Amino acid sequence: MTSPLEARSLSLVREGNTVLDGVSFTVAKGEIFALLGGNGAGKSSTLLTFLGFLDPSGGEVLVNGKSVGSDVAGARNSIAYLPEAASLYGHLTAYENLDYFLDLAGKSASKDQINVALDRVALPQEARTRRLQSYSKGMRQKTAIALALLRETPILLLDEPTSGLDPVAIDEFHDLVKALAEGGQTVLMVTHDVYGACQVADRVGLLRHGKLVGSFAAEKGQRIDTETVHAAFAGRPHFQTDAA
Amino acid sequence: MSTVLRIAREEWRLWLRSKVVVAAALIVAVLLAATSVLTVNRVAEEQSQRIEQQIAAEQTFFAQPDRHPHRMVHYGHYAFRPPPPLAVFEPGVDAVTGQSIFLEGHRQNTAMFADTKAAADLGGFASLTPAILYQLLLPLLLIVLGHAMFLRERESGTLAVMLAQGQSGTKLALGKAAALLAVIAIFMIPLIGVAAYSVSLGESALAATSLVAGYFLYLCIWGGIVLAASILLKQRAVSLGALIFVWLFAALIVPRFAINASSAVIDAPGKIESDLVMLAEQRKLGDGHNAADPAFMQLQAQVLEEYGVETIEELPINWRGVVASYSEAELTELLNSYADKRMELEASQSHLFGLFGFASPTIAISSASRTLSGTDLATHHRFLRESEDLRFGFVQALNEKHATDLDYTADINRNNGEEASRAARINANAWQVLDEFRFEPDSAVQRMDRAMPSLGILIAWLIAASGVVYLASRKVRL
Amino acid sequence: MLRHLSRETRFLAKDRGAVFWLLLAFVLSVVAVSFGIAEVREQRETIATLIEEDAADRSNALEGQEDWGSAAYYAFHLTYAPPSDFAFAAMGQRDSSSWKHRVRMLALEGQIHEADTRNADFGLVGRFDFAFLAASVAPLLLILLLYDLRASERTMRRHDLLVATAGSSRSLWLPRALVRVTALALLLLMPLWVGSTIEGTAASLTLQASGIVIGSLLIWWLIVELVSRIDASPSILLTSLIGLWLAIAILVPAVSKAVIEAANPVPDGGEILLLQRETVNDAWDLPKEATMDPFVERHPEYADHSEIGEEGFEWKWYYAFQQVGDQVVEPLATQYREARLARDKQAGVAAWASPTSLVERAFEKLAGTDARSMIAYEDRVRDYHRELRAFYYPLMFPEEPFDEELLSGLPAFTPTS
Repeated sequence: MTSPLEARSLSLVREGNTVLDGVSFTVAKGEIFALLGGNGAGKSSTLLTFLGFLDPSGGEVLVNGKSVGSDVAGARNSIAYLPEAASLYGHLTAYENLDYFLDLAGKSASKDQINVALDRVALPQEARTRRLQSYSKGMRQKTAIALALLRETPILLLDEPTSGLDPVAIDEFHDLVKALAEGGQTVLMVTHDVYGACQVADRVGLLRHGKLVGSFAAEKGQRIDTETVHAAFAGRPHFQTDAA
Repeated sequence: MSTVLRIAREEWRLWLRSKVVVAAALIVAVLLAATSVLTVNRVAEEQSQRIEQQIAAEQTFFAQPDRHPHRMVHYGHYAFRPPPPLAVFEPGVDAVTGQSIFLEGHRQNTAMFADTKAAADLGGFASLTPAILYQLLLPLLLIVLGHAMFLRERESGTLAVMLAQGQSGTKLALGKAAALLAVIAIFMIPLIGVAAYSVSLGESALAATSLVAGYFLYLCIWGGIVLAASILLKQRAVSLGALIFVWLFAALIVPRFAINASSAVIDAPGKIESDLVMLAEQRKLGDGHNAADPAFMQLQAQVLEEYGVETIEELPINWRGVVASYSEAELTELLNSYADKRMELEASQSHLFGLFGFASPTIAISSASRTLSGTDLATHHRFLRESEDLRFGFVQALNEKHATDLDYTADINRNNGEEASRAARINANAWQVLDEFRFEPDSAVQRMDRAMPSLGILIAWLIAASGVVYLASRKVRL
Repeated sequence: MLRHLSRETRFLAKDRGAVFWLLLAFVLSVVAVSFGIAEVREQRETIATLIEEDAADRSNALEGQEDWGSAAYYAFHLTYAPPSDFAFAAMGQRDSSSWKHRVRMLALEGQIHEADTRNADFGLVGRFDFAFLAASVAPLLLILLLYDLRASERTMRRHDLLVATAGSSRSLWLPRALVRVTALALLLLMPLWVGSTIEGTAASLTLQASGIVIGSLLIWWLIVELVSRIDASPSILLTSLIGLWLAIAILVPAVSKAVIEAANPVPDGGEILLLQRETVNDAWDLPKEATMDPFVERHPEYADHSEIGEEGFEWKWYYAFQQVGDQVVEPLATQYREARLARDKQAGVAAWASPTSLVERAFEKLAGTDARSMIAYEDRVRDYHRELRAFYYPLMFPEEPFDEELLSGLPAFTPTS
């Protein structure tokens, strides 16, 4: 069976700088994979190659077993993407935004379906007819997630989805992502939040200077150990020996 | 004070590092230099050509052989209007009006052969002159430079830091204003150069200085508008868009709209139309060529009584000359009344047009610029009036010669053969009655007087713009 | 595609900035068209009044005349070029060349260059007509509508989300821009269509004009599209586009104009007049044959009637030297006409370098207000003047007895439509 997402010795050079250097991983159906890394580690670039915004300089990325380069539209069609600090249109209401973006994706949803999705992300009823420019950051993020839900794509790409959210909102978000994965969606998220990654992901990959330098999987029914990952992220010596 | 300078210097550093700004400024500078040189050359050539033509026309007139004096009335003369020195900067209405006029008896001609009639038609805009560049292009340059001046500090967060350090919004705005002012000052240099050159050509220093001051005012107004937009608006693209809109309105739309509106409000009939009305009236006056016309019977009785004689043959003067002189005077009065009416209507149209300066500083500066340069409609009208005086002067002087120097009997027999025709001539010395005509621009004080309303409008604009900047900068919050 | 378009139309309706520019386009178009119609009506009214007054004045002038010569001397004839039914959209050269004259059988060169004065200040600035709007202002509005389609989404960090959601950029940017261009074109053209209906313009003309507007918008769209692919901030994009607009709409035409005029010098108009007047004036002093010989050369049919007595004044001789005056300046006048045509022809070629000039010239051509049409009107005046001579000469030269009745057969000026 092909994996929904796969990177094969992915390399990327931008303006002379090596951004990614031989990164390989697969994400299985229903799995939550978190790429963890510091600033400039190449996390967002990895997501952008899956979306076909960046072309790999070496290796390839595959979506549902097909190389992204050969079918960009097909890849994008099966992916819902949540950019960092996703901003939908400020001059439109939540309904209008969702209506617009769904149409853009070639989908349509009834008002009821939209309401179901907004209920799932817990966007207050009264806010739904207000323009987004009056929203808090959390509410905007919720609207963007509702969009991802409504698109009903098999794959979800999340770029720093919890940055700037308060702890309660983060917890709500993590529960939602887990529920989606249980429903069979494949999730690839990139983050620099060690705690968040360990809490939600089935597997965590550690990216440093464009290389995948470590991988941690959760044991059945348990969370990944935050301490271990944190130590590895910080580059403490005992981790390097472990990994080697 | 030093903070203000510091802020201004910072702004300059930023501009000098921006390729777009440097490129835009260089392009404008090159354009200014090129147009100035071209216009200076063109106008200088035209000026010497016109003066030469004027002298040549006079000499040809003087050189005419002995003739019947009325022949010289129809031979006619030309008046030329050489461009004033400041036309090197602002050619004004010259291209539209035509700059020469044929003067003859019994007729007032219009100035002929305007350049625009034979111009290559490439649409919309007049040819480039330094004045047009100053009026249209420099505001755009200021917009490109300044639209983000203030809001950039807001975007990058430095505004918060500055306000937290206890700098006031006004001080910051003052610094930005100083930076823009320096730009304006630099771009005044070509104008100052051209103005100085015109002074060397004999232009009054007062007019040249006022012209420079007028444009300085105008650019400061734009600087104020730009600065105000960059304080009041929160996004770069919005600020730039809004300023382009203001420019589009002030520089392109309002002036043309004002033309449509003022010609719709005040209807100035064309010359043919008013001539037709006049012709009907003129017919009542009688034909000056025909001394037996019944319209002259009253005059005849009066003149005969004055000289105490019974018949026109007994008169010591030539009756035909008297009639010519009398009817020319009557006709001229009529012609002038119509011409004056037409000019008044045009002047009031232009006055109305000038009031649109309250809606667009570009209208105000262009009116002031033409007036101060002596290339405005009023100057053209004065040219028409003065050339009319010249016309009336030489025609009447010739008519007087006709009455005094030519025998009546010889005159009425002038068509009876070669001999008789020769007898009906007077000595060519008489042609010296023609006055020398050198059209001069108005005095600087007169031009200043006329430009005052437009300059006043500009000052009002400047006060309004700086007021908005001041109020906005005082209220600056994050 | 239809779905994309309807989505983007709904989206556009909510974009207040864009709606503002579009409404502005509409208002400006309404203003331009209504001013144009008002002006054209006024010109028609003027012509109607002139025709009436001209006829009255002529019959008054002809009344009681006793010979052909005086009749021809005192009777003026109105010539005019009525505005076409599309002139409301482009007044063009009607503002700088005169479209009405009153001529009589004297030397034509002394009459045809007369300008019926118009406020000089006005000629300087130019009129706000539809052609100007479509040629110069519409591209600016288009730039303002389109320049930041991509760049603004980039600044708002929405670009990638939009493209990732849409799948391909074609189903996003193309319909989004197309909706704006279409809306702009429609809002500009609707007042023109209404105006054409009011004025009774031929549908084919309106169609061509609409095609020109749409074509020019498409060209500018292409320009904006190419520039806005550059990954730069919206304000830099707008600055560059405004710079391009300046170059295309103002600099290129101004430079081409200067070059063309320098390359095709027009004879000094003053010289034409001077030569003509000198010839006419000198004739008084010259032997009569000096006038009659060149006249007969042109009109051999009057060879037998060209004897002018030494005594008294003869109208025949007077009109002969008027005609000879025209003949002498013919080369200069032709040169003047040819140079104007040559300039216009080259301007037509140069206009290809500037869509703005091209649109304005195309509109003037459709409206019959281009230089060529104005010259055609002057040719028409010359023809008419010839007809006048053809009417009087056969009566005057053989010295047919004066018959006032015959004057009702005077040629009437009919404008070419």
